[in-house]
Amino acid sequence: MVLKLSNIKKSLVLLATFAVVLSSYFSQICVAAEKNEAQNALNNAESALASAYLAVFNAEKAGANVSSLNSKLSMAADWLARANNAFRLGNYDEAYNFAVNCFNIAKGLADEAEILMKEAQKSRSEKLFWSATYSSIGISFLFVLSLFGWRYLKRFYIKRVLKMKPEVIGEDELRRS
Amino acid sequence: MSLDDLKLVYVIGCFMLGLIILSPTLAMVINLPSGERFTELWILGPEHMAENYPFNIVSGQTYNISLGIANHMGCLEYYAVYIKLRNQSEPLPNSTSGMPSSLEPLFEYRVFLGDGEVWEKRPLFFSFEFSFGDGFCNVSRLILDGYVKDVNKTVLWDAENKGYYLMLFFELWIYNSGDSSFHYHNRFVSLWLNFTRTF
Repeated sequence: MVLKLSNIKKSLVLLATFAVVLSSYFSQICVAAEKNEAQNALNNAESALASAYLAVFNAEKAGANVSSLNSKLSMAADWLARANNAFRLGNYDEAYNFAVNCFNIAKGLADEAEILMKEAQKSRSEKLFWSATYSSIGISFLFVLSLFGWRYLKRFYIKRVLKMKPEVIGEDELRRS
Repeated sequence: MSLDDLKLVYVIGCFMLGLIILSPTLAMVINLPSGERFTELWILGPEHMAENYPFNIVSGQTYNISLGIANHMGCLEYYAVYIKLRNQSEPLPNSTSGMPSSLEPLFEYRVFLGDGEVWEKRPLFFSFEFSFGDGFCNVSRLILDGYVKDVNKTVLWDAENKGYYLMLFFELWIYNSGDSSFHYHNRFVSLWLNFTRTF
């Protein structure tokens, strides 16, 4: 009977040890999984934000008004910084949530920026077309008017020269001039 | 004035008038070079002035500064500020080679700024937890902007300057769309902190 009890005790102790080892092993696995998940979320957020930035940058270059997109970009960047900070501190759950917030803001931005860029490009090409048209008309007018103007000016100049009276000057003055 | 001179003046006048007529179109097509492109990075003291920076640090006491960035790069830029802590033997960024410090950042800020825009983190609170040993100071924690980070840095007594010194510094990085990564922007600002005992 005593032998049986000690056997039970032994097996209980073994079982408890096994449970502790198993739980610590699983908790390590869980932490590693959490870390991986957070890292993936961070990578996704990072690339989504980078693409959004490029889209907004190109839209701005095309002449679009991107001030509303800038504030959204800054908000997403703030979430990403928080996510990175939380990750460094080992708060993987928090890092994951912050990265997802960043991703959610950033994912729609590239499309919005592209629409703005297309609008800006369209309006720019329209402006350029009208400006070039007005300039061409202006230059054509200038060319024609300048030809007429030159003929008029030339005639006026010749008339003025012909109206001039010859003046007799002394030999000294002639030598000096 | 001879007829040739008059002709020359007339042609120049017409040419100038032509340029004036063309200028709106030319302005849309030609990109004139802009001025110098750069980024400002600064830290200011608690009164938002370049004075009274925290220096003598007491364990557990909170200090505040302001951290700012101004973009004069001519376009929208994506910046990251990495906050690092070093003792006197650890590396600083190298301004000559444009290399950042090899130390791991403790925290970071990220910000997008359009041309001419300014970002400022004001106030930026920080505090340290540390204890003293025989000839050394062990800085265990940095609490910055609500984040608590175990730093575990040992600072040895600086006999020359008579104190236990650590440098808190802020490196500015900029996103390069060419290779889709951040690059050190060759700018950093720093604060020397003297860790003192309270009696």
